[in-house]
Amino acid sequence: MVSDALAEALDLTTFWEYREVLLRGLAFNVYTFLAAATVSIAIGLAAALLRVNRLRPLRWAGTVHVELFRNAPDYIMVVWVHFVLPLLLGKLLGSRIEFDPFVSAVIALGFVYSGYFAETFRTGIQAIPLGHLEAARACGMSERQILWRITLPQVVRRMLPEAVNIFVSQFKATTIISLIAVPDLMYRVGMVLQQEMKPLPLYTGAALTYFIVVYLFAGTVRALSERWRNRIYA
Amino acid sequence: MSNWERLVWNQREVLLKGFLVTVEICLIAFAIAVVGGMLLCLVRLYVKPLKPLAVLLIEFFRATPIFVQLMWVAYVWPEIFGWPGTFFAAGCVALGVQSSGYLAETFRAGIEAIPRGHREAGYSVGMSPPQVFRRIVLPQTLLASAPSIVNQFTVIVKSSTLVSVITVQDLMFQALKLVTVWYEPIEILTVTAGIYIGFVFLVSLAGKTLADRLRLRYGLAAA
Amino acid sequence: MHVESGVDAVPAIRVVDLHKRFGTLDVLRGVSFDVRRGDVVSMIGASGSGKSTLLRCINRLETPSSGEVYIDGEPMGHRGQGDAKARSLAEINMMRRDLGMVFQQFNLWPHMTVLGNVIEAPIRVRGMSRREATALGEECLARVHLEEKSKEYPARLSGGQQQRVAIARALAMRPKAMLFDEPTSSLDPELTDEVLVVMRELAADGTTMIVVTHEMGFAREASDRVLFLHNGLIEEEGPPSQVFGAPKSERCRQFLSKHVQ
Ligand SMILES: Nc1ncnc2c1ncn2[C@@H]1O[C@H](COP(=O)(O)OP(=O)(O)O)[C@@H](O)[C@H]1O
Ligand SMILES: [Mg+2]
Repeated sequence: MVSDALAEALDLTTFWEYREVLLRGLAFNVYTFLAAATVSIAIGLAAALLRVNRLRPLRWAGTVHVELFRNAPDYIMVVWVHFVLPLLLGKLLGSRIEFDPFVSAVIALGFVYSGYFAETFRTGIQAIPLGHLEAARACGMSERQILWRITLPQVVRRMLPEAVNIFVSQFKATTIISLIAVPDLMYRVGMVLQQEMKPLPLYTGAALTYFIVVYLFAGTVRALSERWRNRIYA
Repeated sequence: MSNWERLVWNQREVLLKGFLVTVEICLIAFAIAVVGGMLLCLVRLYVKPLKPLAVLLIEFFRATPIFVQLMWVAYVWPEIFGWPGTFFAAGCVALGVQSSGYLAETFRAGIEAIPRGHREAGYSVGMSPPQVFRRIVLPQTLLASAPSIVNQFTVIVKSSTLVSVITVQDLMFQALKLVTVWYEPIEILTVTAGIYIGFVFLVSLAGKTLADRLRLRYGLAAA
Repeated sequence: MHVESGVDAVPAIRVVDLHKRFGTLDVLRGVSFDVRRGDVVSMIGASGSGKSTLLRCINRLETPSSGEVYIDGEPMGHRGQGDAKARSLAEINMMRRDLGMVFQQFNLWPHMTVLGNVIEAPIRVRGMSRREATALGEECLARVHLEEKSKEYPARLSGGQQQRVAIARALAMRPKAMLFDEPTSSLDPELTDEVLVVMRELAADGTTMIVVTHEMGFAREASDRVLFLHNGLIEEEGPPSQVFGAPKSERCRQFLSKHVQ
């Protein structure tokens, strides 16, 4: 009995038959991840700059941003952005708005993970010795130049290992976008399931696929980021 | 105003019921995670022949997305292992098992960070290896990992929203059900999001306070 | 028990032809000496000469490659009285209680209070009641002049205070002898004195001690005998007046000229 079920679960022929459909689903995970990660980095950097700003209200806004998104579950945020945000925007603009599920997914995952990036950016920024900035000011660099030429390059180096961890979590989080009908791998597994009624090999195949992809992705990104760090700053 | 009253205030009992289920699941999953994480860590460190298995499990639990793992445990495990029998149990197990992978690594770092001298001091007053582990290594590891353990609890709470997908009637499930009944998502989903964010915020605040206390009192570095 | 001619005929610690090898590195190459009851033996020597390894072999935190250590005539490594069978870990643990060890890095357990550190082994190892152990612990803390700190956690103490707690922790097992491995080496100079004062008091009370130290003042004034270790061998040995006043070995003379102002 047990071994029958095990054999069935590990018999991945069904999974393999649908490889093309499923692979195209996996591509959606990757697209969503890439778009959401871009959003996260941009907004995370902005929030971090707010948090180290001289003006108290701006600092405060940065803190609210971080606390709001770091403490929010991915799933409720995806659902909120998909079902509530268009209604609110619609009321504001006085017209009917709907989001494509992919757009909702990118906005939600982008904002949620911007909270983590903001904290990482901030820690990196605050770890830079004041002397570096004073030296730059003494050379007559503008604040904007200092940010891009002195501060950020050092911050990026410092935050890279932590950023890789955030990327990995963010990629894993893209699996929930199937729940608002983005046709990703999990969504397509669900569809195939309705035809084939074979949950054992399909879910096992999905778990193994994600495990391998995430494992390789994490390993590769870690290795690349190490190389990059060493090349630039050795 | 009436929308808030009708959709949220009048539904408070349903939402509270859901919230309690959420808390229950999270606590059970948390217990599984701590105990399982410690077991995996001990096997990895001290049971040579089983080490590759422990490493594989830890890596698998860590690298598989929680949603995928949840479906896998809920639909595949019962066929293979004849267990878990309910979706509620499946939810607890999936959440617990995922976090146990992370905690195993936290505990390992904690154990490896304890200076060898602390153990030797124990041996030199005649304590046996089990005594040294129980009285010196274990408490220090748990203390040093306490902030990470609390943090892992917040991860469990966030992930627990997904058990609604396998029809466990947690807060998320009740909220989504209300939305499908009334078809007025704004108030319900906003309040639900607020509850989750507030809950996780309070737990992490407690974790931070705890970490500061521990650092002051025991001079431990945060793990 | 066979009858000895006097209590002092059996040395408190006897080390016989001790060898220790780490891989291909011969760290101890045949060390033998006795420590009589109540004696204070100071061990000096350059860093890397094997002093720590010797102490750790004596209470078997390291297993010697060959040779034997006797505590009150009882061999540590085997059963004795013709029984050459090696002792089990449990038996070694039992014998270890008779040797108090003080480490360079204090090694206080940070999750227990000062008193908790001191009474841990009396309760868990000796099986004392908490009440008994607390009384004993307070007595030991008084001997190191820290009775008022018993409820503090180690992180709140200065290095000197931490080291005195470590001494109290070792004393609480009522050991037959105390082993000190550079107890003041990780302390700021202004904190070494409070530890040395405590050690001198122990010495004056007749505690049997082996002290690895770079504090030549202590070695000269507080010890009955001084050993100079070099490359895993005892190169010079004798009363302090002789070792410090008229060392026979050239190496010992060089070492002393560097370390004695
Ligand atoms: N566990 C070990 N493994 C390998 N080599 C060791 C070990 N412990 C000590 N040694 C080596 O033994 C030698 C003597 O060390 P030690 O006894 O600590 O000297 P001392 O305490 O006199 O400075 C050193 O060369 C050291 O590197
Ligand atoms: Mg040494």
